[in-house]
Amino acid sequence: MLDPTSVQRHDGKNYQRAGIQGSMSVQPQDNAQWEQALTFIAVDRDKQAYSQLFNYFAPRLKAFGLKMFGNEQQAMEMVQDTMLNVWQKARLFDASRGCASTWIFTIARNVRFDMLRKKQSRKDELSADDLFFDGDYPEQEGSDSNEWDLWLLAEKVAPHFSRLPPAQRDVMEKVYLEEKSHQEVSEELSIPLGTVKSRIRLALDRLREAIDDPRS
Amino acid sequence: MIHAVKYHPTLELLEQYIEASLAPELSLAVAAHLDLCPHCQRIKMDLEAEAGAALINLPEADSTETDWQQMLSFITAQPEVAVKLEQRQPFSLQIQNSEILLPASLKPLMQNKLKWLNLGGISTAKLAGEDQHNVSLLYIRKDSEVPQHTHLGLEITLVLKGKIYDESGCYGEGDLLINTPDHTHTPRTMSEDCLCLSVLTAPLKFKKGLTRLLNPLQHLFY
Repeated sequence: MLDPTSVQRHDGKNYQRAGIQGSMSVQPQDNAQWEQALTFIAVDRDKQAYSQLFNYFAPRLKAFGLKMFGNEQQAMEMVQDTMLNVWQKARLFDASRGCASTWIFTIARNVRFDMLRKKQSRKDELSADDLFFDGDYPEQEGSDSNEWDLWLLAEKVAPHFSRLPPAQRDVMEKVYLEEKSHQEVSEELSIPLGTVKSRIRLALDRLREAIDDPRS
Repeated sequence: MIHAVKYHPTLELLEQYIEASLAPELSLAVAAHLDLCPHCQRIKMDLEAEAGAALINLPEADSTETDWQQMLSFITAQPEVAVKLEQRQPFSLQIQNSEILLPASLKPLMQNKLKWLNLGGISTAKLAGEDQHNVSLLYIRKDSEVPQHTHLGLEITLVLKGKIYDESGCYGEGDLLINTPDHTHTPRTMSEDCLCLSVLTAPLKFKKGLTRLLNPLQHLFY
């Protein structure tokens, strides 16, 4: 098994991941609003819609950049490149594949990757667009998550449950202990239905990994 | 078409991958695995959705109103660019006299003619790599054994075609093997040839005798 600490980080830094924790409250209406804005930008090059989107995302992207680079100048460079991509490539946004925030995150991630690459003056045989494919991976039939639902009944799951990231644990508790529907959980926590589903899948995967791991 | 993939990257590795914190060469192995593995494709999308949600929950970092205005005017003054969504298609390549279908992620590295180095049942062709990371194709003919070795760094192997066996199991198309420095193994093939993508983060160290004979292997692998 891989010890994650042994993986050399691309940027040589050690920071708190912007990952699962702390992503508790995405208002569904916000994402719907930004999806609409992206459509206006794509179709009409609507500057007003864009400046609203910019005012919302740019300061948050800057916070993300500061966290990743630890440096104001690079953070701002990342914001500008990311927001420029949003302006010029809004047509590539496809709401059926994910939220506006997801799409913008992936652009920022790719911009950061290419900036780091450039800084190390690597040949660009490995570029972000090739490494992080932003296309449609077909939906798979027969999700294997279902069979894992059974595992939740087993006692061996319980000790790992408490170690799930809080956002995932909340959703799991409501679905599996309080037996609420995904829709009910979505409304109760004010998070999109897709987020409820993806948190369940991630939690199931994490639990599966914990159970499979002979060390635990 | 694709056999059921059994060996996946850990969630931790995928998390580092989606936020681009992983070394690019390791990311390449993960990207090629994703091309072959619908299960991990879905997890990748889920992790990206979570990271997007985390992004908009970050507290805003301020700049002056003028800075933002300048950036905004600069951006909206930029012309539209032609964009098209790319298709992620596998491509085929003539390798060691057979036509092999490879994951799309590897295509950018195949622009030049591959230079194969052969030794015994094993051939390698270096695709990329500088400093501490090395990416190569490894072609192992049937009934061949890679001498027992450990790694000074991390070794990631992605099976692209055929099957390979080691002390811990059998790996087929799409399976991703991760070996850490404390892990000794002797990969071998059985009745069919095997093509792998190999990413090494530091040179191998061979354990068994015949050091002199194996020295060339060191160059083969790294």
